[in-house]
Amino acid sequence: MVKNWFSLKSKIKMNRKAYLQFSFAWLFAIIVGAFILFLAIFFSAKLINTEQTIQDAKTGKEIGILLNPLEIGFESGKSNSITFPVETRIYNKCNNNGEFGRQIIQVSQKSFNKWSETEIDVGFSNKYIFSNGFAEGKKFYVFSKPFEFPFKIADLIYITSASEKYCFVNPPEEIEKELLFLDQENLIVKNCSEDDVKVCFSGTCDIRINLNTKQVIKEESSVSFNDDALMYAAIFSDENVYECHVKRLMKRLENLAILYNEKAIFLSLKGCNSNLDLLTLINLAQDFDNSQELNLISEIAEEIQEQNNLGECKLW
Amino acid sequence: MVKKGQLKIQQMTFMLIAVTLFFILVGLFLLSISFSGIKESATELCEENALLLASKIANSPEFSCGESFGTTKTNCIDADKVIALIENSDEYKNFWGVSNIEIRKIYPEFSTEVLCKRENYPNCNVMRIFPEEEIEGVYVSNYALLCRKEYFKGLVGGGCDSEEIETVEEIIYDECELAKIMINYEYGKEC
Repeated sequence: MVKNWFSLKSKIKMNRKAYLQFSFAWLFAIIVGAFILFLAIFFSAKLINTEQTIQDAKTGKEIGILLNPLEIGFESGKSNSITFPVETRIYNKCNNNGEFGRQIIQVSQKSFNKWSETEIDVGFSNKYIFSNGFAEGKKFYVFSKPFEFPFKIADLIYITSASEKYCFVNPPEEIEKELLFLDQENLIVKNCSEDDVKVCFSGTCDIRINLNTKQVIKEESSVSFNDDALMYAAIFSDENVYECHVKRLMKRLENLAILYNEKAIFLSLKGCNSNLDLLTLINLAQDFDNSQELNLISEIAEEIQEQNNLGECKLW
Repeated sequence: MVKKGQLKIQQMTFMLIAVTLFFILVGLFLLSISFSGIKESATELCEENALLLASKIANSPEFSCGESFGTTKTNCIDADKVIALIENSDEYKNFWGVSNIEIRKIYPEFSTEVLCKRENYPNCNVMRIFPEEEIEGVYVSNYALLCRKEYFKGLVGGGCDSEEIETVEEIIYDECELAKIMINYEYGKEC
């Protein structure tokens, strides 16, 4: 019995040794294998993220390029749509630095029920896009209107998500006509529903427009406009985006006024006088701070426009 | 003396290193393919931008005639404004996202290429917006009308059979010529 017990013990010892030898090799393989797998998964995830970022940047750039025809006024007053295959967020940012400032677009797309994180800015100096901080959806409506102050400065582009509806309550006839002509599904003139963002020209609403003082009043903000193009801009965009783009527009106005002033000097040598007070306009545009100052420039712009219309040589 | 177990571990280590290296190489290969695609798509986007600009830029405020030459005309470039733009072109660097913009008179023809400056305008045939920039890369072009105000001072009226008296008159008139607007972009350059 004692002998049997010893033989059993030695067998267990032997087995243990074998077990130990086998398990160490496996343990080593598992640890290193796991490490390799971790690296593979880590780099794959990084690669997918990079690809997603590239895709987002590419989409942003494509949006900007597709808006080129709108920027140059060919499609003014017509509504177009952009449809994405997946849920997309178009972030609208604006930068005031430099000679003309920059329109910045960031795009984030939903993949595996998660929004891609992108920090790549796609910038354009010659575009002025008005939308909320970000517009979300698969389908977006785009339309544009020229901004003249007194000469044409740019075409303003308005982007709204198809899922966000704006209902204009009792608008003036001209605006109603324009909206009906646009025939944009998310801009409603009659039969508002509860979920719509209500825009009214009298009374209290989500967005209130005072045509006398030329102001658009939202929950906590109030901005000024001088014509229909800027009125729509104020309706469809955040206060920050609006103010920043208005500043950029004044920068372009300043540069265009310099060109027209030089053209005027050149033409006067040929005996074609225009006598426009463009220098005052240049100075006002240079000192422009916020939309409240639009009224002041507006008066001078109107005077200059009248003089240009009556002049021997029209500058624009 | 190397034990059997140690040998196995060594074998496995070599194998694992080989497998890791293999995957790293495959990964690098895929990455290089993917990044070469990025450059290609960036160039494609620049090309698309230039194409759209070529067809529309004549109507942008810096170039367009507006109502200076009668009614509003499409694809009409105001040469008097463009000459002012050339003098202020430093401010417009990177504004349109293209390397250069050139307007060439194609009719009436010029025997040689004369770059337009304030001093020789309008006796020139090439208006280069960024004259100091060397032209490299590819062009996309479109036809446009190039208009300017011209001044004439001379004898008007009279003639062999006419009894009308010749008078000296000063006239300012619109002169429009056929031109080609060319948009230049470069491969691999940000646009």
